[in-house]
Amino acid sequence: MSHTAPTKIRNVVQVRNLAKAYGDNVVLRDVSLSVPEGSVTAMIGPSGAGKSTVLRCMNLLEKPDSGEIEIDGHVINARKKISPKNLAALRRSAGMVFQHFNLFPHMTVLRNISLPQERILGRSRDEANTKTMELLTRMGLGDKADHYPARCSGGQQQRIAIARALALGPRVMLFDEPTSALDPEVGVEVLEVMKELASEGMTMVVVTHEMGFAANVSNELVVMADGCIIESGDPRQIMSDPQHERTRRFLRAVLER
Amino acid sequence: MNALLPDIATILPTLLGGLQISLTLTFFSLLFGLPFGMLFSFGVTADNKIFRYISVFFVEVGRGAPALVLLQLMYYGLPNVQITLTSLVSACLALVWTTAAYTAELIRGGIQSVPHGEIEGSDALGMSVRDRLRFIVIPQGMRIALPSLMGFAVLLFQATSLAYTVAVPELMSQAYSTGSSTFKYLPAFIAAGLLYAAISIPATWLSVLTEKRLSRHL
Repeated sequence: MSHTAPTKIRNVVQVRNLAKAYGDNVVLRDVSLSVPEGSVTAMIGPSGAGKSTVLRCMNLLEKPDSGEIEIDGHVINARKKISPKNLAALRRSAGMVFQHFNLFPHMTVLRNISLPQERILGRSRDEANTKTMELLTRMGLGDKADHYPARCSGGQQQRIAIARALALGPRVMLFDEPTSALDPEVGVEVLEVMKELASEGMTMVVVTHEMGFAANVSNELVVMADGCIIESGDPRQIMSDPQHERTRRFLRAVLER
Repeated sequence: MNALLPDIATILPTLLGGLQISLTLTFFSLLFGLPFGMLFSFGVTADNKIFRYISVFFVEVGRGAPALVLLQLMYYGLPNVQITLTSLVSACLALVWTTAAYTAELIRGGIQSVPHGEIEGSDALGMSVRDRLRFIVIPQGMRIALPSLMGFAVLLFQATSLAYTVAVPELMSQAYSTGSSTFKYLPAFIAAGLLYAAISIPATWLSVLTEKRLSRHL
């Protein structure tokens, strides 16, 4: 079988049979998904399709009703008791970037990025600050270290949020509509950083409405509607020749805009 | 009537000892009341039933019953069950209860106004619940609650005048005894009022200033 093959690509993230409902409202029905190491998976689909819910289930910000999540070897089964230790390990392996950045407004940019390193990885303040400055410089934000987040633009705040997640050395980065709250022009700054990350081999899952990013940067496209994955595979293939009527309708709607 | 101003000027310095006791009473009520307020602010929404019931009891009674009733209960009521407290201790105990009850609600309001996104942000980073409270929720919650806590401290300072009913020699009872021994009630109470205002008004300014200063990064 394939597990003996030397060229086997490891899956960093595996989602198996995820299901979730809020009362009678079913948001996910039997979603399964694998994310190979070093790949970029883009998730698209109409709003309410369950893309963000799948992403938020991956690091247990939402608790699925049933199913299993595995990130970098840490397995969590929704039907079993979740140990805090296992949950912490899983969350440490997955960095998350939100639509609204979710930075801590009462801390400087430096503290925003250094504090989690000190508390979660046990780095000393000096070590953490060195790592932070290295990341900020890479993002072109070296001069913002002593500013408060409110004084930074949206695009800068999102790059700071990316740096904060990267500082913990995650195995996979989860992006939940990272450019949706930004002006298109500012969104480009963030997309550039994401492109660079992808080219460095970072494993990424991106929920997005940016069709250009999905087509040009991702290696795998997942189309969701009504709580199901209706189509997945090569992005260009799907975009040029969608198999599913629902995909066709969605692509027509976004591309005609 | 002509003698009013000189009378006020004579009485005022004699009331300073009472003012000092009023301030001491305020200080100790806050010193012991605030930690309980913090505790109850978590208690009223805690999962642990016993902790929650105890917290709800102290908060609801402390806010529902007038401070005067608590004060009388501590001083005149408790001796019926063989607990006798000095007037100062019973006044302090009653005001600690009032302080804990009101500040619990103010602190809870502050804590609940920390945006949910920041809680999710810290969760996604893998922060422990303790660290989240220590570094994200409490610093911001207290920052939001601080101006109203300072406003409460001013009200508490004024409420210490109730302690005169249990014979604590604070500012109000000093003014009262000066009035009753000299029949110069008017200058005595004006002097007391001036002293209360001399503390309360600048303290209120300070709380407004604090509010402006703390909201600058938000």
